[in-house]
Amino acid sequence: MRRRRWSRGIGVLLLFGMIACSRGTAVSKPAAAPPPYGSYELRLGKALFRHYCQTCHGETGAGDGFNAYNLDPRPKDLSDPAFQKHKSDADLADAVRRGGAGVGLSPLMPPWEHTLSARQIDEVILYLRALRRQPAAPERSADGSAGRPLPPVER
Amino acid sequence: MPLKRLFAATSLLFLAVLAISPAKSALQSYRSVQRHYRRVGMVRAKSLKAVRDYEQRPVAIQQIWLRDFDNRVDRCTTCHLGVADPLMRNMAEPLRLHVQTAHTPGAFDQFGCTSCHGGQGPATSTEEAHGTAKDSGPPMAPAAYLEAGCGRCHSSESVPEAPILSRGRAVMARSGCYACHAVRGQENFRSEAPPLTSLAMKTGGMWLRRWLHGPRAVDPNATMPNFDLSGKEIEELSHYLFNQSVPWDLAKRIQSADGEPTGDAANGKKLFAESRCISCHTVEGKGNGSAPELSKVASSATRGWLLAFLRDPQVFYPSTKMPRYRFSETESRDVVAYLEDELRDFEAPKEMLVPLRVNQTLAENGEKLFRRMGCFACHLEPSGSEEKFGPELNGIGDKKPSSLDFGRRTDLARTLPAWLAAKVDSPRSFARGLRMPSYELNAEDKRAVVTALLSLGTQPVPEAYRFAPPRAAALVPGGPVGALIGRYRCLSCHRIGEEGGDISTAPLTFEGSKVQRDWLIDYLVLPYSLRPILEERMPVLRVSREEATQLADAFESFYLDPRIPEDPFAGRPGSDADVAEGQRLYGTLGCRGCHILGSSGGYYGPPLTDSGKRLKRGWMYAWLKGPQSWRADVRCPNYGLTDTDALRLTAYLSTLLSAPGSTVAGGAR
Repeated sequence: MRRRRWSRGIGVLLLFGMIACSRGTAVSKPAAAPPPYGSYELRLGKALFRHYCQTCHGETGAGDGFNAYNLDPRPKDLSDPAFQKHKSDADLADAVRRGGAGVGLSPLMPPWEHTLSARQIDEVILYLRALRRQPAAPERSADGSAGRPLPPVER
Repeated sequence: MPLKRLFAATSLLFLAVLAISPAKSALQSYRSVQRHYRRVGMVRAKSLKAVRDYEQRPVAIQQIWLRDFDNRVDRCTTCHLGVADPLMRNMAEPLRLHVQTAHTPGAFDQFGCTSCHGGQGPATSTEEAHGTAKDSGPPMAPAAYLEAGCGRCHSSESVPEAPILSRGRAVMARSGCYACHAVRGQENFRSEAPPLTSLAMKTGGMWLRRWLHGPRAVDPNATMPNFDLSGKEIEELSHYLFNQSVPWDLAKRIQSADGEPTGDAANGKKLFAESRCISCHTVEGKGNGSAPELSKVASSATRGWLLAFLRDPQVFYPSTKMPRYRFSETESRDVVAYLEDELRDFEAPKEMLVPLRVNQTLAENGEKLFRRMGCFACHLEPSGSEEKFGPELNGIGDKKPSSLDFGRRTDLARTLPAWLAAKVDSPRSFARGLRMPSYELNAEDKRAVVTALLSLGTQPVPEAYRFAPPRAAALVPGGPVGALIGRYRCLSCHRIGEEGGDISTAPLTFEGSKVQRDWLIDYLVLPYSLRPILEERMPVLRVSREEATQLADAFESFYLDPRIPEDPFAGRPGSDADVAEGQRLYGTLGCRGCHILGSSGGYYGPPLTDSGKRLKRGWMYAWLKGPQSWRADVRCPNYGLTDTDALRLTAYLSTLLSAPGSTVAGGAR
């Protein structure tokens, strides 16, 4: 009787041992860093930007589209890092939705809320973030990293 | 004693063996994923109740039962727990919230995962589910070719929100893949390659040899692939092609045109510009590029052929997209004189256009080659019943790698996408004697074509899920009006219903409800640039006034839309106050950002200077109420105007009558 309990004890111990040993090798342990953007959304955002925004804001968002020269005031340079830092996604989405007139700026930027869906506007904003220019001389932060890295983008 | 020890050892061993199964189950990777999900959820949850819900989630296999897809089950959500959970935004895979699409997160229960992504739904280990394990079924579509999944149900060429797939299908059509390969839905495909009947009188032996050696090198717009022919094969094919007798009617036209005196090149230059040839062709790369490059055209075709062709392209190539301009005899001579003067290869040797003296033996060999290489698949009218020259492509997206012939390509990964990519890139690298030519596509097009190929599955999608947008046939009247629409090839650029080209931004489907008859007559006789920024503009086709009237009258009765009211004001036209209010709206909405009015405004939309003369009031109103209902991809934003405001703007725009002084005739550039 005593012997049997002893052997069962060993069996349980063995089982725990196996679990403990293989815990570390468990596959697909969720990684800590989230991926910046889904590339599919970004691709749709890029297509939307090219279709609706590029005419005035330019291919790189610098505000130099071919129609920009007919506009006064000139379209915003969307790739400006300072501008990008200053505006939250919600601010940008609001300006796209309600247009320049809606947010107290030039009415030459039309409101898109009746043309684009909320999802499409989110996709455009995602692409806008990818258009952010690297500052000319990257400011090094204390730990030596050069600020937030740009997400990979096929321009 | 030894017996007892043996007994102890055996029972230990026995216990250990018994423990394997529960241990395996306890160690399934999804369990740790699910526990991680629970932890993240508890941290991110907004309310105590939500925290408790996450806490109490059992660790268990999740599955979606796809009743419509052969009662399949998808267990992907066992690991991909966050697909429909907004709290999992920005998480890493496998917990990440699924991208929003037309079907997600709304219809997960209906579509599951594998109907778009492929892979093995019932599997519960990552390797087996993703299809990377040995002996698992077909793998998931790789991320680079993700849109192939959309194409399993969506069979139309252009699929919304799947730009790569749409591009791939367009490239396949333009490259003529369907001429040799059978694909469902492309049974009536007809290659745009010209018939070769008049070739012997069109060009010379030297030009033909250069062309056969590499069509893209001669004309960057060429859609003909490179067959990588040897010198001997080029010789034989050339002799065969020059041995074709030119039909008597065409030969007579070419000969008599050749005997005519030379025209006035200066006038020809003016006519060439007015004719807006670059709306389809290119000149030194500038232009639309769906038709041949013209900068060296006079060194590729003889004078007689050019002249006869320009006068009636449709008798040479019955399915050509080129309109028959109404040039006078002298005018067409002037245009060809201009081509001969300026659009030629100044470095071409004199013999470029000298016809080949046919050697019968070579020509006979050439004929066999013409059959063996499959040239006929594009260059001859298909007889209908005969089998396609190349293998069928239906089901190619579901081929098992083990059934693919990798031949000499030992460098490739043994996967279907890798095989397809290599096939599209260099089809002859697999073995000796393969006949598929090389299409010299750029990297983006290649990837798009592989995506389109992967979308051709064998598994039939349930009927209810197959989606092909309804194709309304173009309503083209018969009789003289139909003949005019054919002669001027309106459908090469404009759409009517679901048919026609995409070169023009103005579909003709509701043209009669849109523009005013008198304006249209003037415009057809002498078109001017409505959108100066576009390279593709309406050519001056030299339509006669009678023809223009006939066309305009037909538009007034055929191309109408019941959604466009005749009189939006319902008998109560806008007052002066309404006009003034409309003018104010025009300013505050920012219309001038895109439209020219008077001397200022943007360059994007059409000028509105003469909109009161050009557009019907009902159209203005209908357009202002929602531009996208008339052309889905139009950039003019929908301002969400009220009826009153839309009517006020209509009233204002109707008052704008001045002639477009600053806009120039279509030709000037």
